[in-house]
Amino acid sequence: MDTSGMDIRYLKQHIEDKIQHSFLERYINKPVINEDKLRLLVEIIANTKLPDYKKERYIVTTMLVQIALDTHDYVPSNTDENENKEIKLNKQLHVLAGDYYSGLYYFLLSEIDDFDFIHQLATAIKEINEQKMKLYYNEVSSFEDYLQLFQRIDALLIIHVASYLHVTILGKVAEQWLFVTKLNVERQRLTETGYPLISINGFGNESATVVKISQLNTLLNKAINHLKEDLNKVNKDNTGLIQYIHHQLPINTSNVEEG
Amino acid sequence: MKLAKAYGYLRKDLEEIESSINQMIQADHPVLREASTELLKAGGKRIRPVFVLLSGQIGTYDLERLKIVAVTLELIHTATLVHDDVIDDAEIRRGMPTVRQLYGNRVAMYTGDYILARALEEITLLRDPKIHHLLSKTIVEVCKGEIEQIKDKFDWNQDLRTYLRRIKRKTALLIATSCKLGAIASGVNEKDAHRLYQYGYNIGMSYQIIDDILDFTSSEKELGKPAGNDLLQGNLTLPVFMAMKDESLRNKIKNLFHTDQTVSEAEVKVIVQDIKNTSAIEDSYAISERYLNKALQKLNEIPNSRSKNTLLEIGKYIGKRRS
Repeated sequence: MDTSGMDIRYLKQHIEDKIQHSFLERYINKPVINEDKLRLLVEIIANTKLPDYKKERYIVTTMLVQIALDTHDYVPSNTDENENKEIKLNKQLHVLAGDYYSGLYYFLLSEIDDFDFIHQLATAIKEINEQKMKLYYNEVSSFEDYLQLFQRIDALLIIHVASYLHVTILGKVAEQWLFVTKLNVERQRLTETGYPLISINGFGNESATVVKISQLNTLLNKAINHLKEDLNKVNKDNTGLIQYIHHQLPINTSNVEEG
Repeated sequence: MKLAKAYGYLRKDLEEIESSINQMIQADHPVLREASTELLKAGGKRIRPVFVLLSGQIGTYDLERLKIVAVTLELIHTATLVHDDVIDDAEIRRGMPTVRQLYGNRVAMYTGDYILARALEEITLLRDPKIHHLLSKTIVEVCKGEIEQIKDKFDWNQDLRTYLRRIKRKTALLIATSCKLGAIASGVNEKDAHRLYQYGYNIGMSYQIIDDILDFTSSEKELGKPAGNDLLQGNLTLPVFMAMKDESLRNKIKNLFHTDQTVSEAEVKVIVQDIKNTSAIEDSYAISERYLNKALQKLNEIPNSRSKNTLLEIGKYIGKRRS
């Protein structure tokens, strides 16, 4: 993938340095830096006319926001009456770590006086939490609806960044690509273990949803087709992104087998 | 005298701020909207907006600009409280059920994140870098302070400096920041803005120390929790540090918490009485008084005005707080 001189390993290390906190590390797992998202962000940002220091700062702060939001998703929905000291400490530190990473995003963008990007990321956070409430309360009418909502939440931050940088199509591609990746992971897991990762506790009027391989294959096919359509609209400046995605597609160019 | 009486003349502006805060958190999702407004409905002193407005009056008073700062600070404070209640498994705040109690931890997390995002959207309406440098640094420091509070629980090796740094981050910084941001937003010169920051910092320290004293001296009815609750939770506060100057009491307290067993309320009750039998409460008040005097001294260095007098009155009120 053409990252225009932006090294993924360096950026990952840079993010890790920013979130480094000895006490947090002792008691909770180090946050996972989603490499797919990092690569997509690099591709979206690298080809803009922003100065290099800004490119780097945008990538790092967007990833910090993602990490902050993900960290808060580790807070259990409800406190168990028999919660022991370790579980309680784990919960407390996930709350505080997420807040801390959020604070860092604001701090790092303030350092470069980029108020518009602070605003843009804040708007994305606001919207993501609105959508998460829908997911939490299962406000979907089907499994497909659920997946679409999940897909939206997963990609919203990148969609906002792409829109801010006037490359909306790259946001759409990122969204589709993340969805394809997610469905593929689900499909593999379902094939290997019989259990999907995503919740299947029933949606809307469906009392229980049984996820079948055939269902996932159909969805995956649909998503790949959408992705290919969107990739055709991508500007030639982003050939790196096109090549990377084509290379990574679950079944290279031919779609997955249905049924 | 009631505190609110001292700044009664700000009532109209504070009402405008209140309505703005309320408007800001009208989320699209009905439960998120309800949860976001829950804590605000329960009231609260709105002390940060008051400090913003009073500091703002030292310069060129522009309510529209000050409103942005005041709303932001109150929203940040609210978001922190919503998350704090998850940390503490709190059921009640300001006499009302907490967001986590009503809707669960996860919704409380989303609510706090949503409110903080609204605050950051709002503050970016102001483009002065000084505002963002100070506020963002404060937010990070407050978060660090909260993590340290967890880290320092039941740590008998911590010293008084650790405690003071903790309450600085926990309380004093946001009050200091409220004062300075109000000043910056209304164009107060740098020196006076810094004096107002120091005033806020010292008031905040004094306020938190008294709060920590009251945890020992107030009744369960007044506190809404048993006296000595901080100690029960493992939070070592100033009266404990003062009391632990007495070697035998130090050992008694340390021994009680030495085993990893849960310490009962009855056991803590005995320790609370022991602490009250020493000069710890008096000594703690003396330290609070020192901070208060520093605050008032800083205020004396800025030109006379009505709002300066009000800030003085607020300081004195806080210093005399005994319940």
